[in-house]
Amino acid sequence: MKKILKSNLPELWQKISADFDLFLPLEKNKTLNFSLWKEGEKVNLDRVRTNASPKHLVFPQTETYLKIKNENKKLSFKAVKAKGDQYVLFGVRPCDVESFKLLDNIFLKDPVDTYYKAHRDRGTIISLGCTNPEDSCFCSSFGIDAGSAPKGADIAAWDIGDSFIWKAQSEKGQKLMETIEELFTDIDEKDLKNLEEEKGSIQENLKDLPFNSLDLSKIKGTQQEIFDKEEIWNEFSERCLACGTCSHLCPTCHCYDLCDYKGSSHGEKFRCWDSCMSSDFTLMAHGNPRTSQMQRLRQRFMHKLVYYPKNHEGIYSCVGCGRCVEKCPVHIDIVKIIKKLGGENNEL
Amino acid sequence: MSLDSNIANKNEEFKPLIVAFCCNWCSYAGADLAGTSRLKYPANVKIIRVPCSCRVNLNFVLRAFQHGADGVVIAGCHPGDCHYSTGNYHTRRRFSLITNLTEYIGIEKERFKVDWISAAEGNKFATVMNDILEDVYKLGPNKKLRDARWKI
Amino acid sequence: MENITKKIRAIAKQALINKDVDKILGWKKGDLWSESYPAFITKAEEADTLIWDLFCINNLSKFLIKELQKHDKIGIFIKGCDSTSFNQLLKDHRINRDDVVLYGIPCEGMVNPEKIKKIMLNDRVTGIKKSENGFTLTSKNKTKDVSGEEIKYDKCITCISPNPVVYDELLGDEVKNKEREEERFKGVEEIEAMTPDERYEFWKGEFQRCIRCNACRDICPACSCVKCVFENQNAEISGKAKTEDEDSFFHIVRAYHVAGRCVDCGECARVCPAGIPLDLLNRKIIKDINEVYGEFNAGFDSITPAPLVTFKLEDTDTFSKQGGK
Repeated sequence: MKKILKSNLPELWQKISADFDLFLPLEKNKTLNFSLWKEGEKVNLDRVRTNASPKHLVFPQTETYLKIKNENKKLSFKAVKAKGDQYVLFGVRPCDVESFKLLDNIFLKDPVDTYYKAHRDRGTIISLGCTNPEDSCFCSSFGIDAGSAPKGADIAAWDIGDSFIWKAQSEKGQKLMETIEELFTDIDEKDLKNLEEEKGSIQENLKDLPFNSLDLSKIKGTQQEIFDKEEIWNEFSERCLACGTCSHLCPTCHCYDLCDYKGSSHGEKFRCWDSCMSSDFTLMAHGNPRTSQMQRLRQRFMHKLVYYPKNHEGIYSCVGCGRCVEKCPVHIDIVKIIKKLGGENNEL
Repeated sequence: MSLDSNIANKNEEFKPLIVAFCCNWCSYAGADLAGTSRLKYPANVKIIRVPCSCRVNLNFVLRAFQHGADGVVIAGCHPGDCHYSTGNYHTRRRFSLITNLTEYIGIEKERFKVDWISAAEGNKFATVMNDILEDVYKLGPNKKLRDARWKI
Repeated sequence: MENITKKIRAIAKQALINKDVDKILGWKKGDLWSESYPAFITKAEEADTLIWDLFCINNLSKFLIKELQKHDKIGIFIKGCDSTSFNQLLKDHRINRDDVVLYGIPCEGMVNPEKIKKIMLNDRVTGIKKSENGFTLTSKNKTKDVSGEEIKYDKCITCISPNPVVYDELLGDEVKNKEREEERFKGVEEIEAMTPDERYEFWKGEFQRCIRCNACRDICPACSCVKCVFENQNAEISGKAKTEDEDSFFHIVRAYHVAGRCVDCGECARVCPAGIPLDLLNRKIIKDINEVYGEFNAGFDSITPAPLVTFKLEDTDTFSKQGGK
């Protein structure tokens, strides 16, 4: 473990960005997102949650994979490789770190999605403990510890007041630390004490959160029984706008559409994020597999709470980041669904 | 001020692409008149004939800029003379708002012109086209709203 | 506010018992103190879950389109901006006036939880109360007094219709003070004062954050096309790719499509998950219409035709050298 004073951070960013694309939580026009850092840009590490999740770095919203050219009435095809440079991503909260693992379960399973793998391998992920969790956070319901060193992070970091503590956890992380060592100092007893205090304070803050009573083990019923609870699904789908905000902001949503683009004398095939909430999701020649919003809404939450756990040894496809809670225009979110399905500890 | 005298270096020659939507009954005929009267107007004006100026909507204008146009002109009959009686009254309201909206987005107002050209105004047609070409030439190629994937 | 809540519950209960309506659209309290959400109830017992508070920001009128396909008569609680949206839906022939019972509520403006978070930073707020000069926020460690302007939605501060313009029954006294309606176009004027390149950079930066979720379109009462032009992939008008040209195309065209019908309810800017100030696009068009074709507030009645649907022979334009402004 090493320590760096907050006043030295601008120098650190400069050093890292000389060799890597550095993505930090930057506030632009009142919105906080992981963006490419350029010298002089102000970093905001006070809020725990960025607006959009960092999944766009491993799973871009639009990605061309095939280019088709029409030359002298002959078609030529060219596969397009995944684009991007080595990058460092700092400030990822434990929930978002976990989300990368959930995406890995999908994209890195055989047959491997080579584009995702290329983006994923190029990145070094540095997590940051959540000093001040927000009302809408509920990562603990999924066994994620907001004050921990999450396993998926190459380097884990914590804010201990006037400095940050960094701890390399993987080979990649160790390699990065070696290149920036000179800006760090060793830690002493006092620093360790501050770190323990910080971790303790995070746990205290987590205890106060309004969604602490969630307990997914209390969701009763077989897959079919939950599927058939149409009264619950109707109650939510009545006001659902089918906009897709939830899917696009969710760090674990990963559905995509394969589309064509017609250029002046060439074409491109690309993939782009798609939302299972929109009416043309998986629209086929014969028609639409799900014709009502109730069916679409039900599918999304069944996937997150029932199907994904069934296929992945009980792991839920949700990390409790709270983005859907904050951003759904009509306030539908997974917390309400979990509660309606019985996933709440009523004694708390 | 002729265009040729402005081209200093042949290698850096900028040939502006102007897309002109001309209504079939007035301005397109005006363009024909300019041609038969041997009036000079630039070859880089590509005319698209529409039945009435109100056929043109915002999509067309944006698409023109996306696919590489440096300037767009919409020419219709004078208000009161529309072949379809009321078409250009709608054009007038519509494009008052649209020209302002594109300017608000950041497209220089010299790049997007709307005007009334009758079938007898061959001179006006040539003038309007020459004027916009000159203005666009001074501004340089348009890089805004471009579709980066359109041309390889 | 508690009075209004009591009235809402009594009215809803009575209307459902008497079968005056099949369904009531109102608001319920969510899990968080800063969350109130649209609630649709069909049973009189559910009426006691309806509330009226500082977070009832959702415009309920657009839900009428879908709900009236399932039910014959619906009762709906509406604020000022919701009522102008209602008139616009009538004008667009999306719903019938006779199928709806309107309960109007004069509104002094709703509170934006984001603004509270920015003021209080990491001091988590647990409650809010009205005070003499504004509001008092309560957190774990302290209380803080703030003015209405500091925490209300921007659109509420420049609201031009705090009182419902159409209703069957009015709950509460009319709001007399329209705080800052003359500042309605301030944001637009700031952008107009920029150079073209500055304007383009501004909008480019905004549209870059767009995640193409279509929430703005889906919540807009003026956007009620059964098949939206952007959903028609075969027409090759627009695609799903997130590129600079596609993103700007969507927003510019949508702003123009609602021109003259936008009631300035501000919901588009509120729901945008990326925080893009979409109302600045719509307000530019409204400002131009007001200046060139006479002041027009869409939704103030359901009869006056929209400016782009009509014309006057003596109209001027903004572009030709003679006869223009």
